[in-house]
Amino acid sequence: MTIDTIPLPQLTRQDFMSDQTVRWCPGCGDYAILATVQKVLPELGIPRENIVFISGIGCSSRFPYYMNTYGIHSIHGRAPTLATGLAIANPDLSIWVITGDGDGLSIGGNHLLHALRRNVNLNIILFNNRIYGLTKGQYSPTSRVGAKTKSSPMGTIEHPINPIGLALAAEASFVARSIDAHTQHLGEVLLQAANHVGSSFVEVYQNCVIFNPNEWVGLDDRRTRDDNILYLEHGKPMVFGKNHDRGIRLNGFTPEVVDLSDGVTETDLVIHDAESTELGYILSNMEYPTPMGVFRRMTDRPTYTDGLMGQIAEAQTKRGVGNLDELYRAADLWTVVPKEQDEPIESHISGRMADELDDEYVDRLAFGEEPAATTDLQERLAEETVEALAAHAPVEVDVHTSLAKAIRQMNTHNIGCVMVTDENDHLIGIFTERDVVMRVAGLADDLAAATVGQYMTPDPVAVRADLPIAHALHLMSLYGFRHLPLVDDDNRPTGIISFRDVVRHLHGVVKGTPAD
Amino acid sequence: MTLRQELETEQVRHMDLQGYCLVESETSVRETLAHMRGAGGRTALITRDGELIGIFTERDVMRRVAGTPEMLDGPIDAVMTPRPITILPDTSAADALWLMDDHHFRNLPVIDRQGNILGDMTHAAIIQYLAARFPVEVLNRSARPDQYPSKPEGGD
Repeated sequence: MTIDTIPLPQLTRQDFMSDQTVRWCPGCGDYAILATVQKVLPELGIPRENIVFISGIGCSSRFPYYMNTYGIHSIHGRAPTLATGLAIANPDLSIWVITGDGDGLSIGGNHLLHALRRNVNLNIILFNNRIYGLTKGQYSPTSRVGAKTKSSPMGTIEHPINPIGLALAAEASFVARSIDAHTQHLGEVLLQAANHVGSSFVEVYQNCVIFNPNEWVGLDDRRTRDDNILYLEHGKPMVFGKNHDRGIRLNGFTPEVVDLSDGVTETDLVIHDAESTELGYILSNMEYPTPMGVFRRMTDRPTYTDGLMGQIAEAQTKRGVGNLDELYRAADLWTVVPKEQDEPIESHISGRMADELDDEYVDRLAFGEEPAATTDLQERLAEETVEALAAHAPVEVDVHTSLAKAIRQMNTHNIGCVMVTDENDHLIGIFTERDVVMRVAGLADDLAAATVGQYMTPDPVAVRADLPIAHALHLMSLYGFRHLPLVDDDNRPTGIISFRDVVRHLHGVVKGTPAD
Repeated sequence: MTLRQELETEQVRHMDLQGYCLVESETSVRETLAHMRGAGGRTALITRDGELIGIFTERDVMRRVAGTPEMLDGPIDAVMTPRPITILPDTSAADALWLMDDHHFRNLPVIDRQGNILGDMTHAAIIQYLAARFPVEVLNRSARPDQYPSKPEGGD
């Protein structure tokens, strides 16, 4: 086998998780974005050594530490410049710029603009929480007029930047928006951004639970989001609403919301066209419903790297390979003579900073709404452990057990999953009904000869009994795990929980809550 | 509003009901399995002239097919569960949940009053609903449980 024909190993999300302790506040939206990126990357089929995450400064900019890829935690606002250099030096890389509303739009606003207009092949993810979180709550370039923050106790008097409008104006060839709490939508948008060749800009509405928890009310709530979000799909009419009963019609250049019942049909609505810059601008200003998805996608533009490399190749064919040293020494050389030291300058500073200034200032802070109180159920999700789910005793089979026997055992015990162990009783795999459907039924001929070890899912995600139920739900909802094996500290099976156990437990909890 | 009230006012058609594939009656079991694998191992809803006549789940594969390969070339009708319990799109999520829990159903096909198949209600739909309903508690967690900070300022 030559080196070219060795297939790439199929990566999983765990391959993209680093060993670093994640240092974000509990409940921060950054967690959901991190989990979604780690879920999406394996789908791209790019080896880890060809992926680089580059960030500036901010909470979101801690991202590269948590990705098991190459990464640079760079200078405030300057991530796009390092990324541009890298994209030119090695065009084979998949480069992700992680920035925030402060880092990308204030400190590094200029660099962002030029990376976008040059169409450098980058995926720029801008986490927008409309606040400076890392420095503890000052207003940012995207904070709304009147937002009361630690640096604007009377409300900001500045008009915010519209990141989507800015990216369109900076000629980004891919402009999209999503939100942390809708991980499915976010995953789809990130996948499209990654597959776009050229500068991709994705604004992600992100929840800062500590300093700006109510910013995305209506959009981050499962109950109301579909009534407030317009999901943009190229070539499809702009229908929105939980019941798909409202739409967007253009009245001149102004989009208006119409009810589909009042004699208005889908043919009267605007058809989304991601190739239309004009429509992109109109949508970028829309606040209700909030458009999410791809605003604009241009596929006909060459990337910066292609253009630059093309010119270098052309110059070299015409004039030969250059010599930098010769160029330096070609003309206009002079010598700088050291100057005698001047007398040192004396500075005169007087006066004193008031010690109590800080306290006085903090006392004057007036915050807006308090975050919504957590309910009993939310607390129970976070505090109760999977032990409360009364996990089933594990049914274990040895790795050499025949498939026929394993299936018989599952049927006898009426269970959907067995835990596969080695000779030391360590968990090495699980074998589920889904494995039977996907790999065994109608595919494996001799069930008595085949062993469960050949068909199991090896190295499954296993958890301990003190795991909060919320975390079990996290794993099940983001990655679709239907069974979670429980193990002790020595990786020996102690139980198993399934979707059904979680739902049954919640059923009990919900039954106990008042009906009105 | 309590979660109970929410689930009582939420209609199942607003949930993620996409985990299924459609298979026509008289299709062989082998071919049905191929359809299911194409849909990521999902449940097969068996139809005749567009009308739901049966359901074939992973559980049925385990019980009626996996150990008896001679069933593979027979029609799916022989091994499916005929006339499954179905729900309407405006059934409340709470009712669907109770029905699933009390009767140990893992799938409830969603059929409108004209008999059109709109989806399949599963436990996964409930899990997805809860995750998106409580993003701060459920979605916004560290990938590794041991990396989750306990203090609001993080970094402990």
